[in-house]
Amino acid sequence: MDGLDGSNAILQQEQQQQSLNPKDWIVAAHHLHLFVTTDPQNAWDLLHEERSLMTRLTTSCADLDDILGGGISCKQVTEIGGVPGIGKTQLGIQLAVNVQMPSYCGGLGGKAIYIDTEGSFMGERAQEIAEACVEDISEYKRFLHKDLQACQGEIHGKDVLQNIYFFRICSYTEQIALINYLEEFISDHKDVKIVIIDSVAFHFRQGFEDLALRTRILGEMALKLVKLAKMCNLAVTNICSLYCRFLSYILSMLTTYLIRHFLLFKVVLLNQVTTRYMEGSFQLSFSLGDSWSRWCTNRIILYWNRNERYAYIDKSPYLRPAAAPYSVTARGIRNSAPHCKRSKLV
Amino acid sequence: MSQVQSEPSTHNNLRPAFMTPQKLLPVEKCSLGCPILDCCMGGGIPCNSITEIVAESGSGKTQLCLQLSLRAQLPPFLGGLSASSLYLYTEFPFPTRRLHQLSSSLQCQYPQIFASNYDPCDSIFLQSVNTADQLLDIMPQVESFLENSKTRLPVRVIVIDSMAALFRAEFENTASDLIRRSSLFFKISGKLKEFAKRFNLVVLVTNQVMDVVDSGEGVNEVRIGNLSGMYSSGRRVCPALGLSWANCVNSRLFLSKDEYESGLVGGGESGFLSRETRRRLHVVFAPHLPDLSCEFVIRREGVVGVNR
Repeated sequence: MDGLDGSNAILQQEQQQQSLNPKDWIVAAHHLHLFVTTDPQNAWDLLHEERSLMTRLTTSCADLDDILGGGISCKQVTEIGGVPGIGKTQLGIQLAVNVQMPSYCGGLGGKAIYIDTEGSFMGERAQEIAEACVEDISEYKRFLHKDLQACQGEIHGKDVLQNIYFFRICSYTEQIALINYLEEFISDHKDVKIVIIDSVAFHFRQGFEDLALRTRILGEMALKLVKLAKMCNLAVTNICSLYCRFLSYILSMLTTYLIRHFLLFKVVLLNQVTTRYMEGSFQLSFSLGDSWSRWCTNRIILYWNRNERYAYIDKSPYLRPAAAPYSVTARGIRNSAPHCKRSKLV
Repeated sequence: MSQVQSEPSTHNNLRPAFMTPQKLLPVEKCSLGCPILDCCMGGGIPCNSITEIVAESGSGKTQLCLQLSLRAQLPPFLGGLSASSLYLYTEFPFPTRRLHQLSSSLQCQYPQIFASNYDPCDSIFLQSVNTADQLLDIMPQVESFLENSKTRLPVRVIVIDSMAALFRAEFENTASDLIRRSSLFFKISGKLKEFAKRFNLVVLVTNQVMDVVDSGEGVNEVRIGNLSGMYSSGRRVCPALGLSWANCVNSRLFLSKDEYESGLVGGGESGFLSRETRRRLHVVFAPHLPDLSCEFVIRREGVVGVNR
């Protein structure tokens, strides 16, 4: 089981934040070891796990991958936000395609769940990105690994679309129902490696005058994800109750931790932005408020800088804040080419 | 493996069915009847999606709406949807004469489709809406109209012309009103998106623009979409209804117009300066479209793109 290794990793990660007294960590670590299941592991398992902990999913934009330490990190909740038209959906589609690519191309060789709440997912655009991605891979194979061609089956753009489980959600009740159902769905489809929710905010922005109610529903939704992870093994359950006695903000770490143990998958949430009245002026901020942001490990903000799109790491336990330009091309998310001539006219 | 999404019942459906994106292909689109405009929009206005047209008055928003609701009646091999449309108008009066003009020119263009005793205007259902709350209130009626329409052609187009008129008068610039307003945006667009998905509708809404007042220390506004600045009639403008409404639509198109002097006509002292209007259509943002724009003119027979 991956309990031991994963818990060490998260401890290291959280220690980097130096948010807690080291003494507390020793206590926590001690308890962790008590609860971890003691299935023997051989060296191969350990090596394999270590590798899988390092896995990153490429965004297909080298600059963005650079600041992310190689791509969107596995087993964590990443929230991506930005104004309409900045490329949130494009990035979501790109990730849903990339996850299916073999690992030597920066993918994970898995499948994707795409939850569309806004209706912005366009089949034709997904096909376009998928085909470009498949083309790039065959190019790459020809260039570098001629021998790989034999062992790896050819991927077609059509197959790529087949491997995206697409849900279109029309109300927040449906959204909650789907989160409940995901547990069952993922245990039936073990090859799912990424869950993309585009966007998490849309249905929670209508008719919630009662913000306390909304916070509760959102909290419940996040807890459902926790519960989802709980069924993985007993150890997790116990760690949960232990940690709850610590500071409440650890909850977000906890989600991360639990998701980390759950099928090694990652959750990408695409959020909307809104303006918020702060200190006498309206400022841009993420939708759904602070109580939601606790649940997300990583947060990436997409914004315009002059005529270029930029991504900025706003919150991450292990990456330093950095910004990188990217561009949305016909082939998907790519590096931003300086002085690229864009065809303005038809 | 894949199964088509079953008839969705929003509250009882505890097990949402998945589908693969291949089921979404090909995306049905309603052509505007002009290859240049269609090319700019990737083949037309897409179904199952909300498309917004932003422009100042007199730029051709309503023209495009009328044209779309007429063209939707054509069969698919002519770029239409074989569908009638529901036209919700909030700005008075409704341009009946212009609709008749466009309709008769469409009839002349396709005499084999429209029998001589049939008027394409009969397949456009009009409803006036006066307030934002009324728009939300008539949503159940719209739903039942879409569900059990006894119309000759099924209703597959909803036009709201214009959204801005409903919201611009009624709401104060106070925090509580703004919250109420944006909550209404999300309710309305949530309903529209639900209908768009269930009935595979084209939803077209129009929006007005506001002038951007430069406070001297740079323009303090959030950039949305491909254009770093929207200019129309030589003024800097931005779409009305703000950021939260921009989150509610899937695609946004912007129509600009600019008048310029094309030269002296007649010559000599007696000549007069002729003015020409250049109009452009820009894709501000759309999930399926690159940053494109094209020039168009408004003619008697409708809106047509021009290559220049």
